[in-house]
Amino acid sequence: MSEPLLVVRDLCTTFATPTGRLRAVDGVSFDLGANETLGIVGESGSGKTVLSRTIMGLQPRTNVEVSGSVRLGGFEVVGASETAKRSIWGTEVAMVFQDPMTSLNPVVRIGNQITESLRVRLGMSRAEAKARAIELLELVGIPSAAERFRAYPGQLSGGMRQRVVIAIALSCSPSLLLADEPTTGLDVTIQAQILNLLDELKQRLAMSVILVTHDLGVVATRTSRIVVMYAGRVVETGTTRDVFYDHRMPYTRALLESSPKVSNPSHTRLAAIAGRPPNLTELGAGCAFAPRCAYASDRCRAERPELTAAGDGHTYACWHPLAPRGAPS
Amino acid sequence: MSNADQPLLSVRDLEVTFGTRRRPLSAVAGVSFDIYPGETLGLVGESGCGKSTTGKALMRIIEPTSGQIVLEGTDVTTQTGRALRQARTKMQMIFQDPISSLNPRRRVKDIVAEPFDCWKSVRGPERDALVSDLLNKVGIDPEVYGDRYARQFSGGQCQRISIARSLAMRPSLLICDEMVSALDVSVQAQILNLLEDLKVEYGLTLLFIAHDLAVVRNVSDRVAVMYLGTICEIGPADALYSAPAHPYTKFLLGAALEADPDSPARDDVLQGEPPSPLDPPSGCRFRTRCPYATEKCVAEAPASREVAPGHQVACHYPLTVTTKGPASDD
Repeated sequence: MSEPLLVVRDLCTTFATPTGRLRAVDGVSFDLGANETLGIVGESGSGKTVLSRTIMGLQPRTNVEVSGSVRLGGFEVVGASETAKRSIWGTEVAMVFQDPMTSLNPVVRIGNQITESLRVRLGMSRAEAKARAIELLELVGIPSAAERFRAYPGQLSGGMRQRVVIAIALSCSPSLLLADEPTTGLDVTIQAQILNLLDELKQRLAMSVILVTHDLGVVATRTSRIVVMYAGRVVETGTTRDVFYDHRMPYTRALLESSPKVSNPSHTRLAAIAGRPPNLTELGAGCAFAPRCAYASDRCRAERPELTAAGDGHTYACWHPLAPRGAPS
Repeated sequence: MSNADQPLLSVRDLEVTFGTRRRPLSAVAGVSFDIYPGETLGLVGESGCGKSTTGKALMRIIEPTSGQIVLEGTDVTTQTGRALRQARTKMQMIFQDPISSLNPRRRVKDIVAEPFDCWKSVRGPERDALVSDLLNKVGIDPEVYGDRYARQFSGGQCQRISIARSLAMRPSLLICDEMVSALDVSVQAQILNLLEDLKVEYGLTLLFIAHDLAVVRNVSDRVAVMYLGTICEIGPADALYSAPAHPYTKFLLGAALEADPDSPARDDVLQGEPPSPLDPPSGCRFRTRCPYATEKCVAEAPASREVAPGHQVACHYPLTVTTKGPASDD
């Protein structure tokens, strides 16, 4: 048991598009231990969703190239056949997607959508599967689970649907749960319920969780480590506290400072980042954040910074890192 | 002209009911508020609470079922035809999805010039100069981008173009319906800062409708909290956020996630989901989820009461406002 649950090494996902090759995930490496929660944070187009799908082994069959390595519990996902991947889906890794309406089949009763994987993957009988499905619905906090078993997705609210999606993901007891924007589009009070549920289930079922989100508030108190992505690359990674309080990469700081905070008085001027995330087909040789960065120099525009260690498990990719906390600036 | 004591917009008992007579859905159930010149009123609530419907009813994009809307002394509710269209130039709306609110096949400068062309108020070089000026104001270079099509722009840029278009008729009230919720945080901050600058420059009054509590606090002078078609609390932004008087406001704020690993863990999460507006609870609409609800809340809808100057709450048992001593306890 020396190897962590998930080992991602130099992972690249490249799409062939009409306008050129688009490297959506570019040289991403990280580890995830058992019973750990990792946050992957970035703006739209940063590659966080493609990264989570690549870890899962879900890519289109054509026009995509994946290199590098994703080892999940000793299984190499990159290059594995569909049949081989199917053997880990559900039991080793499961995914919760953003939009619970489109990830459920609207014309199939939710009960049947949960029992499907139980019957196919775990070979349960119809009655066993039904009993287990009702247990799962209760586990994710759906009231009167036995009645809801026969409901269609359209009869449930957004929050309830997301609970059903989580129940399906948990049905075969995966060791890793990938949650891609699990609460975006849900109301704040429902979002809090779903995030608490994920936390509680993680403890109870001893899973690891990867929480992919654009919302720093979602990861602040619920993850042990954070990976910050920009234009397909990891620009900073470290413990949650390091990333929030001792970040070195100017992008991380800019991202934190540009989001309004509930505790700030009204009319607090926001530190906006000029410009917008780059077009991935037109990336230059330098740091992708350089055109928007206040500290950018000629070197940043010419040469891409690699990840540099700042301390135990804390790395950043920047030529002009911010001063460590407590150090004179 | 406009006096700071006189509200710019005054809304009284606004009701919007959808559906059939047999199965009415009351989306907005008697909402009253004032907006004073130069201020930003934030309207916050969860999906389905009627905040967008309220905004649209003010513009009469959705016809109000009853109630009164008075803008700068003119009763908008009774106007029709040209008078209504004329009144609408004084209030403009910016919508959530910046891309679908612009015609993808039209050029940016034509989109922004549309209000001028509609009203035939200015033409020729004067019109072009005004359009260029508006585009410059929102940070879009008219020389470079004016001839491009709306479909060639990103969400943030489209929202800038929408803002330019909405300012063309020099409105006094701008209704912003979830205008930054489709944008990335870094772009969202740009648009919010731009809005603050333009508000000062154009002397705008804003009704800012959003679900994001942090965004609403950032832009608003006063905030109204809606739940299931009613306003449950309205007050100065900082006072309402630091000392909410309505239990719903307290839970809503408690559920907001702060981007700070040291923020205290919240265990007082509001349970359940909002009831259907097709079958709203009797009495107080929040009572089915409220831990403090009593029989009085079932029997009687709470009237709005003042807990501090300018801070009203519709609750039989408002939470103690610490700075003002205990609230009355009937």
